[in-house]
Amino acid sequence: MAESSVGARQVGRRATIVCGALVVPPASTIFTPQELAHKPVALDYGNGTAYAGLQMLEGAMPREAVTTCAAATSPAERFAGLMRGDFAATVLQEPWITVAEKGGCRLVSTTFFHGTWVATPDVDPDAYGALLRAITRAVHRINADKRRYVSYFMRDWAGHPDVDALRPDDFNLGRIQLKEPTAIPEDEARWAWEWMASWGLIDGAFDVTAQIDRSLEREAHELAAAVRAR
Amino acid sequence: MAMTLTIERVMAFMGLDVLVARDEGLFAAEGLDLRIAALPPDEIRSAAEGSPAKPTTNQGKLQARGESQMFQA
Repeated sequence: MAESSVGARQVGRRATIVCGALVVPPASTIFTPQELAHKPVALDYGNGTAYAGLQMLEGAMPREAVTTCAAATSPAERFAGLMRGDFAATVLQEPWITVAEKGGCRLVSTTFFHGTWVATPDVDPDAYGALLRAITRAVHRINADKRRYVSYFMRDWAGHPDVDALRPDDFNLGRIQLKEPTAIPEDEARWAWEWMASWGLIDGAFDVTAQIDRSLEREAHELAAAVRAR
Repeated sequence: MAMTLTIERVMAFMGLDVLVARDEGLFAAEGLDLRIAALPPDEIRSAAEGSPAKPTTNQGKLQARGESQMFQA
């Protein structure tokens, strides 16, 4: 994360793990990520799905073969561009992965990634602890019956015909993963920073104290720990 | 007195837990008045305007001007 103008820092992992899928249109001759070498892959630069896309591509080919183009933040627009043939592939998240599959698209790779919470210095540890306790209870409820909650993915895009046509049974529940919120492991934060720097997406050396407010993170997670033990 | 916290808008793909906790009264049960602030539509910019090294993102915009305390990155 770039330096914040208001002194904000990361304060923990969020609970919903994002699934990003590298998707090709129905008539594509591409079946594997390797076959996307030197072909335009549309990424919403600056967002987690774009970084996930780069990671899926670089695992399959030399970096110089990775070819990307700027795409809209809206996955609805990326899906529409994919179906028009504007680019060879893009990365989607739910519910657009399910929309794409239902429309005959192929997933050539999928990955999962954590995101983080970013907080200003004035956040009260008691309030953040309360947030974490409530979220932890929500994680338990969702994990006990994921199908019951897939309507939330559709609700975000209500009124869009492709999403309105989905049914809860269309969703692959393996792509919906939630975990109780935890602190950010320092090694993983460093790897993410150094990986971004290696692509020229961020400057400078990793400094954990500049990136993570360990004091707020620790205090709030300790206040939330009781609910995790239940 | 309830604690308050304002966060930036989340969507289900990255914040399903938050939306369920809000709708099922779990924040209120913890004495937390969680407020979710959304960027006005005319201020939302598309990532298509950016480049890999200079991306255009909407994350943290409200926080940067003091209208939210937390957001998801």
